[in-house]
Amino acid sequence: MTFDLLLKGGRIVDPKNGVDGKKDLAITNGTIAAVDDTIPEGQGRKVIDVTGLIVTPGLVDIHAHMYATPGHRNAWAGDNSILPDGFSFRTGVTTMVDTGSAGWRNFEDYRLRVLDRFRTRMFAYLNICGLGMISNHMEQNVHDMDVDELVRVARENEDIVVGTKTAHYWGTDWTSVDRAIAGAREIHKPVMIDFGNFPEERPYYQLVTEKLQKDDISTHCYRADVPWLGPDGKVLKYLHIARERGVIFDVGHGGGSLNFRNAVPAVEQGFCPDSISTDLHTGSMNGGMMDMATTMSKFIVMGMPLVDVIRASTINPANEIGHPELGHLSVGAVADVAVLDLLEGNFGYRDAQNGKLEGKQRFVCELTLKDGRVVWDWNSRAAVDYREMDPSAGVRNPEGLIMPPQELT
Amino acid sequence: MTFDLLLKGGHLIDPKNGIDAQKDLAITKGKVAAVDDDIPAGQAGKVIDVTGLTIIPGIVDIHAHMYATPGNRKAWAGDQSILPDGFSFRTGVTTMVDTGTAGWRTFEDFRYRVLERFQTRMFAFLNIVGLGMISTEIEQNFHDMDVDAFEAVARENGDLIVGSKTAHYLGPEWTPVDRTLEAARRIDKPAMIDFGLFPSNRPYYELVTQRMAAGDISTHMFLGDVPWLDADGRIFKYLYDARERGIIFDVGHGGGSFCFRLAVPAIEQGFYPDSISSDLHTHCMNAEMMDMPTVMSKLLVLGMPLPDVIRASTINPAQEIGHPELGHLSVGAVADVAALNLWKGDFTYLDVHGGSLKADRRLFNELTLFDGEVVWDWNGRTGVDYRELDPLYGVRNKKEGLILPPA
Repeated sequence: MTFDLLLKGGRIVDPKNGVDGKKDLAITNGTIAAVDDTIPEGQGRKVIDVTGLIVTPGLVDIHAHMYATPGHRNAWAGDNSILPDGFSFRTGVTTMVDTGSAGWRNFEDYRLRVLDRFRTRMFAYLNICGLGMISNHMEQNVHDMDVDELVRVARENEDIVVGTKTAHYWGTDWTSVDRAIAGAREIHKPVMIDFGNFPEERPYYQLVTEKLQKDDISTHCYRADVPWLGPDGKVLKYLHIARERGVIFDVGHGGGSLNFRNAVPAVEQGFCPDSISTDLHTGSMNGGMMDMATTMSKFIVMGMPLVDVIRASTINPANEIGHPELGHLSVGAVADVAVLDLLEGNFGYRDAQNGKLEGKQRFVCELTLKDGRVVWDWNSRAAVDYREMDPSAGVRNPEGLIMPPQELT
Repeated sequence: MTFDLLLKGGHLIDPKNGIDAQKDLAITKGKVAAVDDDIPAGQAGKVIDVTGLTIIPGIVDIHAHMYATPGNRKAWAGDQSILPDGFSFRTGVTTMVDTGTAGWRTFEDFRYRVLERFQTRMFAFLNIVGLGMISTEIEQNFHDMDVDAFEAVARENGDLIVGSKTAHYLGPEWTPVDRTLEAARRIDKPAMIDFGLFPSNRPYYELVTQRMAAGDISTHMFLGDVPWLDADGRIFKYLYDARERGIIFDVGHGGGSFCFRLAVPAIEQGFYPDSISSDLHTHCMNAEMMDMPTVMSKLLVLGMPLPDVIRASTINPAQEIGHPELGHLSVGAVADVAALNLWKGDFTYLDVHGGSLKADRRLFNELTLFDGEVVWDWNGRTGVDYRELDPLYGVRNKKEGLILPPA
């Protein structure tokens, strides 16, 4: 048997299948063909040596903002969004989910301009606000939160829409949350809640212990406004109750929502996130967040076991968005693969408020495959020595090289 | 307190000022305030320890494609462009120059949608083709190459436009090159030439030894079609002639324009690029090119000395685009700074045809300042131990504080 591609010598961490060990990974026709202790080199038409690296399923980032095209200044649905391909593959991400940058009024444009283009595997939560995230002020307008319209657009785009979203709501009423949940129930998909400005009248504990149901997602879970610790320093009981109810706790780091003061004791006490996600946008990409590999590294240095960090970045988020075909390396699965280097050294990490935590490890992504193809190769592992190539490699002119006359040579 | 910010303990390379030594760098009000062997930590409001890093002027990348907004599929003026801020600061780049993605018909929109937004310092070469780089086919239309219309737009946007550009021309005529050069002469700025297909009717040697003038830029210098070597493997004389005439040789790596077959012997024989640039767009960003530190690393491991690599990535390109106020760390200069780590290890580099080269070093950007502000900090050097911050730091509900659950 011959395979298209063989990743040889790596440590495979595939939490869904309980795999954590030195194994080789073979790929054919864009899908996983074999995972075994040793697959002979001769069986791969192309062999990439990944000795010393950690081979994981392609990372699934369920919190990003990719609606960069509308031209609105200072808007998540605008200049604060990013376009996916320059941010995904280089950090091991193969699937990126937009979290409500577009609403039911502008999803058609969003799909045309972004989701149907580019190479990254993309899905989206649909905002209960018709205009999505043009500005926080628009997101306060409950008249634009129309459950029927949301359901109609979600059904028309059910191949891409994975749930509903509300965000940035300041009001003291539950309207935005209740309508986002109502929309989610009608389409039988989860809701993702950014709880906005945590006012006293609609306390967070009520959200996660009463309003949200199993599989609904509370993102920004380590945000400063979430009450995590009692006076004894223990994680508050309501959070354990919420988790038992099946509520999902997602990181959504972003520019304001990972706070070491909350995350460090939570992880120490074993309350790790269900999913690790970036909340990638222009306000976070160059700040403390940076990218998925950096966000994952923070949880490694806080003490979350490596396998759990990978689980929370692959199969867990894939399941959360209803795409269990992603996030694992089962034979037959789509060959989305990340190859990570866990650097050892002295590293500093910043939370969203510039609080610093030091650690000895850091992930960088070296190699990424999507659909079995190399889409990022930081260290050129998939290459041929240039001296072995045809001497005319790279000459485009069918006439060949046009040489200068004798007197100019 | 004398200074706002102090980068302490780094090795500073500032080719314009002939500095290559361990020096501290102090910044106040967004400008370089002092460069000295030892500036006491107590003299600055904020001190960043950059021991082990190489401190250089913010990198100036004069070949990029940033017109990502028009919505044209498969177009440089469209989906193949990038928006600058997610690519610049993380790689030490503080100034990025678009190379003719927009032409004189579309520049107003490009300026409005991109150049006047975003944080990266941006300039542009203006395409002689009115529609710019919507498609290679449209770039063949010399009815759209209007020198007068070009001149009008270039003058209206004199603050941003640094020269003229032609690219991707397939035909045997000199028309696009000649009009681009004429346009450049009209505005007294350089032309940057992408020579397209290299047909025998308009040979490259004629371009650089006759048509172009001092200060004009031949980009994609290591493109497979450029004749570099004679039968003995020596660099052709015409390239030295061109250099003596003042022609600028720019890398413009991109997705098709960096060939180890040419770059290796060129560097071995001491023919270094005047400027190192990326030709950043969506095809090369995830491929062999990746980013400026990767391209700079390639030249470094081929044997170009580090100070020359830095020179070709800072002051040289700054001068080429007529912005000598950038690309150096003179006292009083704008505080655009990059702090690079020179990693040692086993690294492999690719040219655009998949040819690889193994080496033991790689430049990696750790920290970037723009106008004296931290815009990238890969290793959290500017953070404050979170345990030393206010116990309720980050809570946005200032009025009520944390809303706790009932007992």
